[in-house]
Amino acid sequence: MEGESDAFCCAGCEAAYAIIRGAGLERYYREREAFAPRPEPMPGGWDAVPLAAGADGTCSVRLSIDGLRCASCVWVTEGVLRRMRGVAEATVSYATGRATLRWDPATVRLSELADRIASLGYRPRVLGEEGRPDRDLLLRLGVAAFAAVNVMMFSAALYAGWTAGMEARFAALFRWMSLALATPVVAWSAAPFFAGAWSGLRNRALHMDVPIALAIVILYAQGWWATLRGGDTYLDSLTMLVALLLAGRLMETRGRRRAAEAAVTLAATLPPTARRLVDARVETVSSERLRPGDRIVVSAGDEVPADGVAVEGRASVRMALLTGESAPVEVSAGGRVWAATVVVDGSLTVDVTEAADDTVVRRMAEELRSAADRGSRPSSTDRIAPWFTSATLAIACGTFVAWTRLGDPGAALSATIAVLVVACPCALALSRPLAAAAGLGAVARRGLLFRSADALLELAVVDQVVLDKTGTVTAGAFEVVSARDADLRVAAGLERHSRHPVAAAVVREAAAREIPLPSASEVVEVAGVGISGLVDGVCWSLRSGGPDALLLEGPDGYAGLLRLGDNLRHDSGEAVRRLRELGVEVTLLTGDRERVANRIARATGIDDVRAAAGPEEKAAMIRALRARGRRVLFAGDGLNDGPALAAADVAVAMGTGSATSILVADGVLAGGSLLPLVTGIQASKACRSAIRRNQARSVGYNIVAVGAAALGWVNPLVAAVLMPLSSAMVVWGSSRVEAEVRRREGGA
Amino acid sequence: MNSLLFLVPIALGLAAVFLILFLRAARDGQFDDLDDPPLRILMDDDDGPA
Repeated sequence: MEGESDAFCCAGCEAAYAIIRGAGLERYYREREAFAPRPEPMPGGWDAVPLAAGADGTCSVRLSIDGLRCASCVWVTEGVLRRMRGVAEATVSYATGRATLRWDPATVRLSELADRIASLGYRPRVLGEEGRPDRDLLLRLGVAAFAAVNVMMFSAALYAGWTAGMEARFAALFRWMSLALATPVVAWSAAPFFAGAWSGLRNRALHMDVPIALAIVILYAQGWWATLRGGDTYLDSLTMLVALLLAGRLMETRGRRRAAEAAVTLAATLPPTARRLVDARVETVSSERLRPGDRIVVSAGDEVPADGVAVEGRASVRMALLTGESAPVEVSAGGRVWAATVVVDGSLTVDVTEAADDTVVRRMAEELRSAADRGSRPSSTDRIAPWFTSATLAIACGTFVAWTRLGDPGAALSATIAVLVVACPCALALSRPLAAAAGLGAVARRGLLFRSADALLELAVVDQVVLDKTGTVTAGAFEVVSARDADLRVAAGLERHSRHPVAAAVVREAAAREIPLPSASEVVEVAGVGISGLVDGVCWSLRSGGPDALLLEGPDGYAGLLRLGDNLRHDSGEAVRRLRELGVEVTLLTGDRERVANRIARATGIDDVRAAAGPEEKAAMIRALRARGRRVLFAGDGLNDGPALAAADVAVAMGTGSATSILVADGVLAGGSLLPLVTGIQASKACRSAIRRNQARSVGYNIVAVGAAALGWVNPLVAAVLMPLSSAMVVWGSSRVEAEVRRREGGA
Repeated sequence: MNSLLFLVPIALGLAAVFLILFLRAARDGQFDDLDDPPLRILMDDDDGPA
């Protein structure tokens, strides 16, 4: 029990820990004090939340729940809510952090449900309305796919009729049926392409939707014209094309919706209430109401509600949120504290300097939010689109003029339509999303989860990797680097009574060396000073001997030294070496002190070290690198890394890091190792070359097909074979990404 | 061949039934979350999902 780390993945696990370790209950309650009890939501506010009323008299609402860190959290939350009287339904989604609640308003109020969730240690929040664009796309795809397969049946019959002969009335029936099926596809399923083309035209940008919308309109118009005249139509190509394009778009938006939801989840992290001193009296007020100049008190277990300067008292404050360093910092009169940091021990009286939206944590959250909104970058496909469209239109005009000059107006019209039909950039539009989806899958299987294809593709050109130290290159916990067994035994005997993270490291090391812990009595811990007590009947004291050492003093004075340090991830050195082999420069960037940073840099083989950088300085340094033309990947794990993550070209968070850094990053390293970054860069290169191959193939196809159409060689059957064939080529090219990634891995 | 005149509508009607089933399922949100159900199997819960 004593050897356990004192941080749980979630409140659910924390609760389970307490139940299982019944004997450790006392310790558990001491731990609880050190964890900031999550603030209760504002009473009163909850019952004003707009609710959706159901037909059976129940109400329902969708909430976001912060702090869900594993599947057991979902289990605990759902189980507890369902056991409450009046709750008809409680479903919590782990993937999105969303809860759907349905309850009987006569029996239980929403505020009670919210309090229950808060009492479990999770933080419920009301969500604004969220769009569900991909449900809409799925419906459109369903209709388009249905029409496509059925039109294809009719078309196959019609093409067979060319050779076998077919009664005119059946041919007419099949054509009208095809037209009837294609109509909802054009009118409804294809609407996103028309909307995209229209907004593109309004902004005078010829992006990919313009030629697609053009092709759809022409195909459909030709369908009506040919059906009325009893000629051949391209409706099978039309429906298939819309279905394929919608499928590609659906794959893209699924990923993007995740990112959007994550942005909504970014909460302001101030505790809701503060204790303000007014005329030597303490009153509880909303943190939002605090003003600079107010005097507040915070004590063990509190989250600090505003930025300020301590005027009285002494406390150890965990600033991991801002600095990323897990060890609490001792703050006494004159020291600065920041909102959302956690008081572990002691208490402080603080003069507020910045409150509410001006606090560092709020400004950071704002920066993160704008970073999450940065949207998608223009892709290479979008760059091809303008000249593609203009070339197609020019060729179509040329075809029409040439055939008319040759004195064949009928052939002129059909050849021109054929040009516009086969020029539809279906394969080109699919070339990127398909290859990117394959790439995302390939890196995900290797432990690097990317939220958007844009970021994955950006990896290929990264030439500078900046790594945070704590939690990224190192595992983020303290360990005892060197100490004599005898010193360690006494130190661990004392420290087993402390809940300081350093104490946990000392006890863990003693356990690892299989040193039996002596019992200690009369243990006194003074926050910020040290711990003392009787071991083996002798008075010992253990105090801080600088930032990374503990001094053990016995009755005769100095007795020994325990050196502390971060514990390095075992494969960080290899990851750095392999990144170098790819021609990428590696920099270590940390808020920690220079000496510690240099030790880690030496151990991993990093030459370039920037130490003692605060959150804003980290971001500034990354911006400076980018200004010098570098493409920067930043990997970090704390909320303090947020601005830096937002500033980088590609941001990667550690799966073991803070939830906020995971939400704001483009990608997450799931396995707690940096090696997948190497694979990620290789996969990104493979992906880029697959996209280039795909684009070359589809443009090549279009040139050949348009040429043939301009010469009058293309009829609906040829188009129906050629167009899916070009798309199939693109699919095949994309499916080779995984094999390519494997080849590069082997070669590296 | 005249049988086509009613077989084709029957086939289309049958396909349309499946389309409607799919659209209803999608509209009810059955395809909204493809990540949680596989995790849910792992939770041993006596109540089962509500």
